[in-house]
Amino acid sequence: MISVENVSKTYGRFGRRTRALDGVSLEIQRGETLGLIGPNGAGKTTLLSCLLGFLRPDSGSLTVAGLDVDDLRVRARTGYMPERLGFDRDLSGASFLAFHWRLSGGDPARVDAEVQSAADRVGLDRSALWKKLRTYSRGMLQRIGVAQATLGNPDLLFLDEPASGTDPLGVAIVRDQILAAKARGATIVLNSHQLAEVERVCDRVVFIDHGRLTRSETLRGETASRRRAIVRVPETRIAEAHAALAAVGIAAEPGPEGSLRLAESSDADVAKAVKTLALADVPVLEVRSSAELEELFRAGGSPS
Amino acid sequence: MIEMVRRFLRQRFSNVGVVIALSALALLLAPQIAGSGGQSSLDGVSTLALIILAAGCVARDASGGALQMILCRPIRRSDYLLGRYLGILLAFALFLVASAALGIAFARGIIPLLGGQARPVEFAALGAQLTATFLGGLATAATILLLSTFLPGYGDVLGFILLTPLSALPDVAGQVLRAPWLQRAGKILRENLLPSLDWTAVLHGRDPLGEASGRWVLAVVVSLIAALVIFSRREFAYGQD
Repeated sequence: MISVENVSKTYGRFGRRTRALDGVSLEIQRGETLGLIGPNGAGKTTLLSCLLGFLRPDSGSLTVAGLDVDDLRVRARTGYMPERLGFDRDLSGASFLAFHWRLSGGDPARVDAEVQSAADRVGLDRSALWKKLRTYSRGMLQRIGVAQATLGNPDLLFLDEPASGTDPLGVAIVRDQILAAKARGATIVLNSHQLAEVERVCDRVVFIDHGRLTRSETLRGETASRRRAIVRVPETRIAEAHAALAAVGIAAEPGPEGSLRLAESSDADVAKAVKTLALADVPVLEVRSSAELEELFRAGGSPS
Repeated sequence: MIEMVRRFLRQRFSNVGVVIALSALALLLAPQIAGSGGQSSLDGVSTLALIILAAGCVARDASGGALQMILCRPIRRSDYLLGRYLGILLAFALFLVASAALGIAFARGIIPLLGGQARPVEFAALGAQLTATFLGGLATAATILLLSTFLPGYGDVLGFILLTPLSALPDVAGQVLRAPWLQRAGKILRENLLPSLDWTAVLHGRDPLGEASGRWVLAVVVSLIAALVIFSRREFAYGQD
């Protein structure tokens, strides 16, 4: 759906040129949630800016469903949330959402209902909605930013650090909004340093470093390349659990606090392991999937 | 575009500093209107009001990130820019009308109350002065809008202020260097870059289709087209990688 072909972008002039993107190529499928990961200054925001049409690449092309990223038909389906909401601070939250609803071509007759619904989705109460944006805390700004981006259920969502500066409840709300958009089939590009959140919502992550796309990891589905399944049992029963799994040919590596890291992590493998433990009468306290993005991040996204 | 105009008006008139500055200027204009019976030119003070209204009209939006949030919506860049231009003009018209109303209030209420005698306001003359001032503002607003499409912050105001001395430079250089061609070029530059037109005379039917009117129209059209071209080609980064 989104196609990025050999995109390069350089900032500055004459002797002080910085190559922000260097031959980046990327395909994002319809309904996919893609995470952009990389250190500060890697080129993630530049890529996002190019995808939104704010910046023009020096070379290469970017299209959405075969259309130019600047095409109004693309923008009519786009929701975008910047890292820092720099909008008119004298507006109330309600006026801000109403403005963006009208701007996105929404039915003016439904504006009040949509504003209220958007505020409810991100847990902003009625009194907060009528306060001016300048009185909002960072967390509230992030929430209303997400509400704004998801107005009218856009097909394309570009989110830049959507949960940055929010409390744990805010993080959960942002995550729920991303998952809701994902459930209705939206294509999402998420730029975030919160690796745990990226891991929870993204189907795939790409690592960008020094303007280059260094690695792509699929986190969901049958082609998941880096997922690890972890099963936790009572610490006193770990040897018993390990033996039960080994007896049916499931390799597992014991870890701290009663955790067992399964060598295979497909849904079928995890189901088989849980069933084996249940038959062996070993209580399963937790089953979780981990993509170990931090480990990859530390390695600079380079192939291991 | 209507949304853009509404937003511009809301931005400007919700800014306490702008409202105070405009009120002060209206209070300066009112006695002038009352004293002259609505016949005096309103150019000087009203140009200052127009500069305050138009200052940073595009650049401030771009640096704050609001412009990027607008541009990712199905809005043409030209709609945004023309919305800003119309917003400036509408705000300027409101300022002029408010100043005129204040002037009439001065003439009919405040000056007699203070024991003075004001000239009766001639509405036809006042209307002509307001129209002339407004029409003169079209060119100023277009020039500031153009400068705001590529100069950061309030650089548009500084650029506008510097335009007059800068456009006089070739003329001065021509005199110093005894180069009549440079003087002539400087004169042409000044006349076309910052054309002056006596709108009061034009409104009274004096040479409405003359050379000065043509130069003025050309300057406004060229400024707006140049602003559209620059703005449609401009890039807007919104953050740090």
